[in-house]
Amino acid sequence: MPEKQKGSKKKTRVKLELTRRDVLTLAGTTAGAVVFATAVTTGPLTPFANLKQSQLEGTQGEGEGSTGRHHWGMLINLDTCIGCEYCQRACSATNDVAPDMAWNTVVPSVSSTGRRFYTTRPCLHCQEAPCVEVCPVHATYVRPDGIVIMDYDRCIGCRYCQVACPYAARVFNWEARQDENLFVPTWGNPEIERRPRGVVEKCTFCVHRIDDGLANGLTPGVNPGATPACVNVCPVGARVFGDLDDPQSPVSRAIAANPTFRLRDELGTQASVYYVPPKEGL
Amino acid sequence: MAAIPAASERRPLITPGFLGWLAFVGLLILIGLVAAFIVFSQGLVVTNLTNIVPWGLWITIDLSAIALGAGAFTLSAVVYLLGVSRFRPMIRLAVYLGFVGYTTALLTLVMDIGRPDRFWHPWAFWNVHSVLWEITWCITLYLIILVIEFLPVLADSRYFRKYKTFGRVAHTVHRAAPALAVIGLGISLLHQSSLGATYGILKARPIWFKPSMPIMFIISAVSVGPAVSMAAAIVLAWTLKRKTVSMDVLRTIARFSGLGLLLYAYIKFWDLAVVTYYGATPLAQETFRTLGEFTPYTFGFWVGEILLGIVVPVVIFLTPRFNRRPGWLVLGAALAALGIVVNRWNVTVSGLVVPLVYNPGAPILLAPSPYQPALIEWAIVLGVIGYALLMFTLGGKFLPLFGESAQDDLASRHS
Repeated sequence: MPEKQKGSKKKTRVKLELTRRDVLTLAGTTAGAVVFATAVTTGPLTPFANLKQSQLEGTQGEGEGSTGRHHWGMLINLDTCIGCEYCQRACSATNDVAPDMAWNTVVPSVSSTGRRFYTTRPCLHCQEAPCVEVCPVHATYVRPDGIVIMDYDRCIGCRYCQVACPYAARVFNWEARQDENLFVPTWGNPEIERRPRGVVEKCTFCVHRIDDGLANGLTPGVNPGATPACVNVCPVGARVFGDLDDPQSPVSRAIAANPTFRLRDELGTQASVYYVPPKEGL
Repeated sequence: MAAIPAASERRPLITPGFLGWLAFVGLLILIGLVAAFIVFSQGLVVTNLTNIVPWGLWITIDLSAIALGAGAFTLSAVVYLLGVSRFRPMIRLAVYLGFVGYTTALLTLVMDIGRPDRFWHPWAFWNVHSVLWEITWCITLYLIILVIEFLPVLADSRYFRKYKTFGRVAHTVHRAAPALAVIGLGISLLHQSSLGATYGILKARPIWFKPSMPIMFIISAVSVGPAVSMAAAIVLAWTLKRKTVSMDVLRTIARFSGLGLLLYAYIKFWDLAVVTYYGATPLAQETFRTLGEFTPYTFGFWVGEILLGIVVPVVIFLTPRFNRRPGWLVLGAALAALGIVVNRWNVTVSGLVVPLVYNPGAPILLAPSPYQPALIEWAIVLGVIGYALLMFTLGGKFLPLFGESAQDDLASRHS
């Protein structure tokens, strides 16, 4: 009790009671934690060991399909685009996308000279994708062939990727979908199944076509069966698809022949989709 | 130390007033449960969240509850690391409030994610690049630390007193309190600021992307968290009609909070100057103009965050005229807490309602999409508030939250 009184007069009484045993316990715990953390984060035990090799390190691994030797990309010509929204419809039919959750969007725009044009946007498949960085469960990742893809079985539906995407390319399944797809069969037939309630979805560059096509000896961007639906359907050929790493691919040649830009390139996202501006400028 | 018989043991345990309060809290929880059932069965479509504003009221509550639980690690660090033992009487309460705050946040979070059945995925599937992953881990680990720190209180309570082994184990584990305080301090500093970084790292959003975000989050949490614990001690003293923590200690905490809020205001001032003036980009300016036009952002910022959330609490906490009186201290803490909630709301929603501008030539055509929480979102919030109040009530009434304080009180009364 006298000790207490003394303490309250001095107001602050610094008391450090560390025995040797405490120090050893603390040191032991810390060392143990460090060893454990190191083992879990670097060793073969780590849950993301496989991801590190095949996905985090970019184009070296042997990911899905015969990837790693390609970098799939697209060119969209804003000068020829007429804003017909066919790309959106074909996409919605092929990937069974709900009308209010379009993966492909067409936004009316006005150039500085006052001319109307249309900005169409699939997912841009950034190589430095902000959405991939923020996902807490690695449910979305950049494949070695450059395609940014979702793992619907792993997504927890936190929607951080949606918040992080600089292009609003991601949509969330707010409910279990019951809607009838009005674009089927006029604009194509669903080639993949609907996504369940509670996960985020996005444009895949019709990855199922690419993977199947490559397995069957087709060339994405050349053979329609291995090319995204939006590219095939475009009536004015405003979209070109192919391998950005192959200088002879349709998309590489189109990029070489035209002035191009990428959306919000200043963010360093390294998008795989290039745009040709309208002739009289943006 | 022998357990001090709590005053409540001498009075009837259940009074009509207490029953009425429990009924009120029970009603809140019932509302929340019904709403939770609807959300789980129908999906998040029942909310007013959209693909443009995917985060809203619930995230605000998450962030606020975690920030207001920051008293636990702050006071633990002060007592166990700096060795300032006069704050020891606050520890149990602060740790308990931290536990309540964090579990409240987790409850809301489970409602908010689209696949609550996969809540464990961040533990199993790691993305070490993600701040949200890091926050999930920090919160998990910190909850464990809070539970360990709190075990002796449970062991000392009259319901567990007969289990001698439990008591021994709890008190043995509790001897690691200084070590836990170190780890807890590190983890808390990390995730409290990472919650700000959640927004600050997003280069896509012009008014979020700034390095001051994590700093403002951590400073506001460290300032207001202890004040909330202080107010809770006063409220418990009123309702339980017994002395909890000496006024002297409470005043010191209030002063600390006041100074912390001043620091917060200082950083906020420069942040405002940089974002809206010195470093203003056309995009950020356009965003603020739109926010001012379509949402009560400006009012919320100046009145909610600055006037009620900072200026008034600072005056209350730092002037002797006010901080001598418990009533004023509670008011100050309540206002500061309100300021935190308004701030977290402003940060979360304001960054989202102004649509992203990614395509050249389109920004002038895009309309903002203001967000008002749906009734069901409010119902969930009422439910989790009910949970927090229930935990607070039961803890205050049945747990020896001030078990170590009685002697300190005696001591301070002598001085």
